[in-house]
Amino acid sequence: MFAVTTLIAVSFSIGSFRIEEAERPFLYSVLLWIILTFSALSGLARSFVKEEEAGTIDVLKLSARPQAVFLGKLLFNLTLLGALGLVIVPSFIFLMAYQINFPGLFIAMVISGGLGLGAGTTIIAAMVARASARGALFSALSFPLLLPIMITAIKGCERATVGISTAGWPEVRIAVAYFVIMITMSLLLFPLVWEE
Amino acid sequence: MFTLNVSGIGKHYRETLLFKDVSFQLNRGDVLAIAGWNGSGKSTLLRVIAGLVRPSAGRVEMFAGGESIPKESRRRFIGMVAPAISLYDELTGLENMEFFCRVRGFACNRNDCRDIVDRIGLTEHAKKMCGDYSSGMKQRLKLAQALLHGPPLLLLDEPGCNLDSKGIKVVEEIISRQRELGVTVIASNEKREVDYADRIINLSE
Repeated sequence: MFAVTTLIAVSFSIGSFRIEEAERPFLYSVLLWIILTFSALSGLARSFVKEEEAGTIDVLKLSARPQAVFLGKLLFNLTLLGALGLVIVPSFIFLMAYQINFPGLFIAMVISGGLGLGAGTTIIAAMVARASARGALFSALSFPLLLPIMITAIKGCERATVGISTAGWPEVRIAVAYFVIMITMSLLLFPLVWEE
Repeated sequence: MFTLNVSGIGKHYRETLLFKDVSFQLNRGDVLAIAGWNGSGKSTLLRVIAGLVRPSAGRVEMFAGGESIPKESRRRFIGMVAPAISLYDELTGLENMEFFCRVRGFACNRNDCRDIVDRIGLTEHAKKMCGDYSSGMKQRLKLAQALLHGPPLLLLDEPGCNLDSKGIKVVEEIISRQRELGVTVIASNEKREVDYADRIINLSE
């Protein structure tokens, strides 16, 4: 709902005509990733908090290996993010008359950026689940952890929009590397976060 | 042969000491009751034994067949019921059992789950959403979840909580049957529940 509301608000207030054509690739990429990131944050942050609030976290701890729980939550978050992307990205392209010169690169960037965003958000959600000031902590942790993937994804989408020759798709590779690093780090650190 | 060895366990939160130097050893067939005033740390001690909370001092060891069980493998040996533990309201009783079967990595089918649900007296309500259960029915389902994998260590925090007389009978049967399977630790102030035990540790003393 947050995603749809933001998307409609942006398309009504900015539309496709209020931005100079030369600035559109960058600004549209920024807007798209702001919508995707904040929509993801509002939903994915709840993945562990819900277990904590419902009182199911202890029985989960007693039943499953920490890594299995993390991977399960990650899979759920990525599925949710994928569904969100399937709604948001085509709607954004349609409503903003977003011209993309390299659709292949754009799709790869959205997918790899989404994977990174999902992995980053999942471990942050796990960390803040037990804290009392969850909202503030979530924002404080999200900023440094998610900034690299956001900048990369914005740059990659801008390149895809402009149509700059992009041998090897460097931003996509950086986003995939970020995803792999986040998963590896999370699998190592999650048992410590999971234990009280 | 299962053995639980608790030695010199203590727990404090910041400046507040809950308990210290709690030691005991339990072998198969033993039932221990932990009593004490509200806030004396009964539930926390159970959580320490289950590995849900780190102790401030001391250690918990478990042995099966004479061999020490590593901490990361202990969850297979533990079944726990506590007021703070909840099951998934959005699943039916039977689906909860199937979910925990799968999460625990068992190849149990719907009939196995149905058997355990029957045993705790929830046959008629097995296909109802857990969110629609009464507090007593939820307590029964928690007992079923704890027994699902036949654990040698059963940790029961106020097991009779919200149960009617039939439910209390079920708890008695569970504790009686657990004497053949392994060890039971009960945290309660209810005289009836403390009376199930062979030994009592009073944390208020």
